[in-house]
Order: sequence, then structure tokens, then C-alpha cells
Amino acid sequence: MTSTEEFLLFEGCLIAQRLPYLEKSARLVFEKLGLKPKDAPFGCCPDPIGIQCSDYTSWLSLGARNLTIAEQEGKNIVSLCNGCTQTLTVANYELKHSESKRKKINKILKEVGREFKGTINVSHFLTYLLEEVGVDAIKEKVTKPLTGLKVACHSGCHYMRPSEIMQTEEDHESPKNLRKIVASTGASIVDYDEEHLCCGYAIMNADQDVSLRRLQKKLDSAINAGADVMCLICPSCFSQIDNNQRNLKKKFEKEYNIPVLFLSEILALAMGFSFDELELKMHLQKPKIIQDKFEGGAA
Amino acid sequence: MRLFTPNLEVKKKVLDLHMVEKVKYCYQCSRCTEHCPVSQLDSRYDPRVIVMQGLLGLSHMILQPEKQFDLWACQTCDMCNELCPNDIVLTDIFTILKNQSMKMGLAPEAYQSQAKMVMQTGQAIPLQDAIARRREKMALPTLPLPDVGEIQKILKATQFDKKIGYEEGKK
Repeated sequence: MTSTEEFLLFEGCLIAQRLPYLEKSARLVFEKLGLKPKDAPFGCCPDPIGIQCSDYTSWLSLGARNLTIAEQEGKNIVSLCNGCTQTLTVANYELKHSESKRKKINKILKEVGREFKGTINVSHFLTYLLEEVGVDAIKEKVTKPLTGLKVACHSGCHYMRPSEIMQTEEDHESPKNLRKIVASTGASIVDYDEEHLCCGYAIMNADQDVSLRRLQKKLDSAINAGADVMCLICPSCFSQIDNNQRNLKKKFEKEYNIPVLFLSEILALAMGFSFDELELKMHLQKPKIIQDKFEGGAA
Repeated sequence: MRLFTPNLEVKKKVLDLHMVEKVKYCYQCSRCTEHCPVSQLDSRYDPRVIVMQGLLGLSHMILQPEKQFDLWACQTCDMCNELCPNDIVLTDIFTILKNQSMKMGLAPEAYQSQAKMVMQTGQAIPLQDAIARRREKMALPTLPLPDVGEIQKILKATQFDKKIGYEEGKK
């Protein structure tokens, strides 16, 4: 048994506290693959947009605090969320590379008896699956291939950028990691122009109109390319794309109903878990195509 | 006659970012704006202009209530950072300006309330009873809670409470 099978799971507050069905699918997939996620009393990652934009030093300090929790356990962190992954990866990188930042933050952490040492790594669960588990091991567990399902992949900005720090080995204008894992389920990947571009989630807090127009561009591109479903790896993107299609309908008087599947959901389906076990009915855009095409129309 | 009054503190902070290894200076090629997924939809948001204002210390031009969108429409997708031919990390400049904007109380309401929530509970989205019950029904583990007191102690050391205008017991 390699030590990489054990890691601390960083669910992130959006998944754990709003979208628990996404966490459920991830835990089922981890179990199937023989992985051993452990929980830890992490605080807010904190949000790489909201809290970093509020106060950089506070953001870096709280990120560092979470890293020290993992350092104490001597385990790496695997996260289910792009935002958490970016915050923790960037904080880890900055504090490992900049002595002045490390000194400053450790002075703050000293007040609560902590010290950043730089002894652990952080990965997104997509990167972890690709690098530590591997496509072949995933394929071995596929019992219900999703042959014929046309999937538009959306990696999300904070998974792969800034590329120098995130080091996901991605061409940020043509991401491939998500495609590789989704393809292991037997599904087909569609090409669409907007694949590398933003879903618009983060503009919502500043302007709803621009946020929805960004989403519309993204979805039009995927739908025109013939996608049956979108597959993604970030709960913020999930919220934006699943929740706001009804707002697109209100705003543009055009029907949008493309289902959105989290990577762990699509993997869990291919590994034999059912629509009901995964509580896919909790999605606002119901992935009926899964029931109709892959579960013999049973509901 | 003085044409403008630069904010020297902002100018210094922004310039410091550009003098780590070598001096990097924005030559206003506008590649950032051309490829920005937000600028394409609303020209009020223009990263090239913000970089210029930051470098020249003209932060007063954007740190105004009616310019909230012009600064905060950036969603830190980091596309501009990847494309800048002079390797400028634009979002670091925006972070300096947004931090200043937050201190002045000019940030969008949603950002202010999220910051206050983290100060209050240690999390951006705290657990609700209904979700706790749902987790139990789905056989998901009860997650260990963060030490809120410790998080608040850190945030007081960084003066986060003062910077975001947080008062205890007030939302």
C-alpha cells in the first residue's frame, strides 16, 4: 500500500454545506478505487476571489492555517473544489518560495501556536485521479460504460490558472485532463470553442446581467457542438450552470436545459451506481438522459 | 497647475510587484483586454486601464462608488496573467486595488457579507440544520468543525475585522 492512498479530503464549504450529493458521489468513487480519504477540522479555504480581494494577508494566513493542519497529520490534501484547490496551492507555493511572506505569515500564525513548514502537497481530485490512480485503474472499475453519451467538458478557470503555480500540465487554452478521465467511462467528448473559458459565476456578485451573458455564451457553444451533458469539477461552476439556466430562460426567453454532471457523478454512474443512489434528482436540470439511455427508462 | 494627484502608497505597492526580479512595465498593448471574457461583454471593465491607473498611482479614478463594476467585474479567471507578453501578474494589481476598495467600503455587498461571514463563523458558507439532516440521511460523515476562536484570533491579528468594517454582533 502506498501512502498516497491516504489523504485529507478538503470538501470545501459549498459542497459540504450546500451540495452534499456531489460529496456523496466522490466518496463512493474513492471507496471503489480503494482510496482512504480522512476528514480534518479545516476552516474556510478561504475563497480565492472573495477573501483574497477583501484582504490578501488575511487570505494567505487562513490558507496557511489549513496547510498547517495537514502538516500536523503528515498527509497531503485532495480537494473537490477548484477554488479551495487554487487557494491552498497558491498559498503553499507562495510560502514555500517567498521567505519574506513566510516570515510575515508565521509571525501571525505564532499567535495561535502554529507554524507553516511546507511539508505537504495539495491537489485537485481530478489531478489526483489522473496522476496517483491512473486512467487504467479507473477503467478497470467501469462496469456500465456511458457509450454514446456526448459530454462537453468544463475544467474551470481556477483548476489550471495561473499555470506557473497550479502546474496541472495543462495547456490552459486547450485543457485535456478532464477529457482523459471522462473518456475512461466510454463517453464521447465534444469539441466546443468556449471550453477553456469562464462560466461567469464570479461576476454574479458584481453584476447579474454580465454573469448570465457569459454563461449563455458558454452554453450556446456547448449545445451547438451537440453536447448531451456538461461535465465539470468545481462546485461554483456547478451552481452557476445548474442553477442559472432558469434565469437564462427568464432573461432571454430561450429554453436551456442541459444537465450538469460533476466528474465524480459521471464516474460513479459508469462504476455502476444508479441515478437514485446518487440522488441525481437533486439537480435542477434533471439528467433524464441517464435514466432514459442507461437505466432502461426506469425511474 | 497640478494635472493629477497620484496615490503614492498604491503606486509603490503596484510597482513593488514589478521589481521582484527585473523591472516589468506595462506598455499598454491591450492584449489583456482583448482576451478578457468580461471586457468582451461589457467595456466598462478594462484591465489595461486599471493596470495603467495602478502603475501611475491614479487609484482615485477607479476607487469611486460609481466605478464599482469597473474594478469588481474581474473574476480572477487569470486569463490576462497567462497572456501578458511582459509577464505582469495583473490580478495581483487588482487585488491591491480591491483590498483598498474594501477598506473604503466600496466593495459589492455580496463580497462584504461573505467577508463578515468568515469573520463570524470561520466559513464562507456555514452548515444549516436542513443540510445537516440531509447529510445524515445520505450517510455522509459529520465533519469536524473548525476552531472559530482560532480563526478569529488570526483575523484580528491581520486587522481583517477593521478592514471589512466588522462589528461583533452586527451583520
